[in-house]
Amino acid sequence: MKAYVARRLLALVPVALVVATVAFVLIHLAPGDPAAIIAGPDASPDDVQRIARQLGLDTPLYVQLGRFYGRLLRGDLGQSIFLRKPVSEAILDRVEPTLLLTVFATLIAVAIGVPSGVISARYHNTGPDQAFMALALVGISVPNFLLALLMVLLFGVRLGWFPVAGYVPLEYGWLGTLRSLVLPAAALGLVQSALIARITRSSMRDVLYQQFIVASRAKGLSERAIVYKHALRNALIPTITIIGISFAILIGGAVVVETIFNIPGIGRLIISAVLRRDYPVIQGVVLCVAGVYMLVNLLVDLSYLVIDPRVRYR
Amino acid sequence: MKRSHVVCGVLGAVAWTLIASAIAHAQDKPRIGGVFKAAMIGEPPTLDPHTTTAVITQQITWHVYETLYTYDKNYAPIPMLAEGHSVGDKGRTYTFKLRRGVKFHNGKEMTAADVVASLRHWTKLAGRGKAIGKDMEGIEAKDPSTVALYLKEPMPALLVGLAHPNNAAAIYPKEVVDAAGDGPIKDYIGTGPYRFVEHKPDRHIKLVRFKDYSARPEPPDFFGGKRTAYLDEILFVPVPEVAVRLAGVETGEYHHGQQIKQDQYDRIKTMPGVVAQIIKPSAWSVAVLNHKQGLFTDKRLRQAMQAALDMEPIMAAGFGHKDFYRIDPSLLFAEQAAWYSKAGAELYNQKNRAKAQKLLKEAAYTGMPVRWITTKEYEWMYKNALVAKQQLEAAGFKIDLQVVDWATLVQRRNKPELFDVFSTGFTFNPEPAFTTVVECNWPGWWCLEDKDRWMESIRREADPKVRRAMWEKVQILFYEDVGRVKFGDYFSLVVNGKGVKGLLAVNELPLWNVWLDK
Repeated sequence: MKAYVARRLLALVPVALVVATVAFVLIHLAPGDPAAIIAGPDASPDDVQRIARQLGLDTPLYVQLGRFYGRLLRGDLGQSIFLRKPVSEAILDRVEPTLLLTVFATLIAVAIGVPSGVISARYHNTGPDQAFMALALVGISVPNFLLALLMVLLFGVRLGWFPVAGYVPLEYGWLGTLRSLVLPAAALGLVQSALIARITRSSMRDVLYQQFIVASRAKGLSERAIVYKHALRNALIPTITIIGISFAILIGGAVVVETIFNIPGIGRLIISAVLRRDYPVIQGVVLCVAGVYMLVNLLVDLSYLVIDPRVRYR
Repeated sequence: MKRSHVVCGVLGAVAWTLIASAIAHAQDKPRIGGVFKAAMIGEPPTLDPHTTTAVITQQITWHVYETLYTYDKNYAPIPMLAEGHSVGDKGRTYTFKLRRGVKFHNGKEMTAADVVASLRHWTKLAGRGKAIGKDMEGIEAKDPSTVALYLKEPMPALLVGLAHPNNAAAIYPKEVVDAAGDGPIKDYIGTGPYRFVEHKPDRHIKLVRFKDYSARPEPPDFFGGKRTAYLDEILFVPVPEVAVRLAGVETGEYHHGQQIKQDQYDRIKTMPGVVAQIIKPSAWSVAVLNHKQGLFTDKRLRQAMQAALDMEPIMAAGFGHKDFYRIDPSLLFAEQAAWYSKAGAELYNQKNRAKAQKLLKEAAYTGMPVRWITTKEYEWMYKNALVAKQQLEAAGFKIDLQVVDWATLVQRRNKPELFDVFSTGFTFNPEPAFTTVVECNWPGWWCLEDKDRWMESIRREADPKVRRAMWEKVQILFYEDVGRVKFGDYFSLVVNGKGVKGLLAVNELPLWNVWLDK
């Protein structure tokens, strides 16, 4: 087991190298130039060139790539062009809102998705099942920016229960933070919950037709115990996988929702970096997100050990 | 009627008038305090106005830094940090007397050494500064409160150049300039009514009142005169989503939201807590043609494009609401009486498809696609281009509309081999001498001997009447040679909360002399 974890962690290194190289090459191949953005709309081509020279962007790409590798070996992600601080610091600044938003959204998604999936499976083809699945279909189909804007309109503008935008950092009190995150977390969580509900339902349905469930019924166990104790635990593996994936996606930055709600998280960081071609920040964030993705996957795989004692890793 | 009744009635009326006027006066009386939150469209690329022409940098930083001169309501230069100036050596020497006792935010008093260092930095790095710098022989501190600027040739537009808020000739402490070298400054210290506290990217830029600010004694006059920091604090919050800027002002979260979509105007007028302001003039929408390389080096093709276009539907598509655009040929705005002109107007908005077809035939146009780069980041640019494309294709052009992001557009437009046309807007400019509208060394490279000679003369000439006549010649050439293709003027929409008082309806966003009513 320890050897397995060590192997998986070691595998991070080549993946990180590939991700770093691909990210570097792709964004440098994309058109656009930070120097032109700094110089502003009325600047002459000479001014733009001068700024590009100051930023070291006039050197050949392979030289820049070499410098990038050199910095990576020293654990340095470089210096942001626009933020005037190290990329690692810029990322750390944004972790708090993104992490809280992700946890909050995932809690909402699980709290709604898992029970409604279970109920749907248990009362298969009845009124509640159809109602839940119709809602889930709507949930999957509605883009989260639309849901977010509708929620702003209703709960922010009309009812005034929550702020329309902005993030209150934890240092100013958790209640304010919670209030500022309710709408964005709901907008993200509701969409994810639809996916979780559908997966839970289908895996529960598979389990409920298996022989050990028939055996449990035959030995007289209550339906409640069968569904919640035996069937659910067996049906959880695909559900946990999908929760893990959606968590990883969210932590990589809920780009749209963070933009709409003006939350200064990883998503906003990457989107403004892309729009301004802040190359070091784009590279750094992509690398970190890839790392988090792999770690979450590893944790999901390890969680199977807890849920299903038959699983063994060597 | 008894006399005593009449007296009572009169006294009562007088009393009521007094009370009413006292109430009205109390409402108009500025209140000190409060945190002003302005919802901005994004983040500034830098906080050094010497190094960028980005409008958002000007809007934020001009509360922190000041210039030697600024504008009165006619956009004429009036002293700000300068006390005044004298001109000698037939217009070639300007001697500026500086105001005494003006303190920087670091507590140091501003002297001639700071001004000399700042203007050297500005004339080396800023576009407008370089235009002045190349005609500048030298600049020196005569004594702690006197600066002499020596020119190779007379330059009547010098003070306008020093007064312009965008890409401004901001005055920094000498040590800040020295530390910056040829790059942007790293410490944001000025003499303005608000001082810089912090920049938390994607969160806010925070300014607070500068307690030792030395205001000018004259009453406020547009950008000039006495500046008072009524607000305790200003937060510039980047809010990229336009719907959220509006909703935020509606709920009281923000006091000001910029660049609201013009088609929302009628709805906003019915919102109880929101006041709409039309920024007029703001800019004009334009298609910039590539004169250096490609199809549009052929004048007949440029003329064909100009002839084919009908500006009304183009502008209507871009700006949605009639109150926000104007079909007008003048290169400087109707609000600028000194420069407004209809010279060359017969070639603007011709809607003449037959003429365009004839010109295309003469030029033996074979249907090679016109590469037009535009962006949806400014939606009106895309919509203007889309309608123009339809009109041009109806006349026989083939248009390859390339929709890219703004960062790509501003990069590609510097490479003549990559485009034939690009979309942009020209913002308000008070004076033709420094305008990019007809500039030769700017993407599009509209260089024309006659035009460039007239522009040179405008920079040298002092007589306003002669300068205007020269500018009209340039405008005529603009249409005859089709320097660029102007679509029309547009105005922008900003929203303020009801409690915001004293804010001028201008693009520059001056927040001194602005207060918040309870």
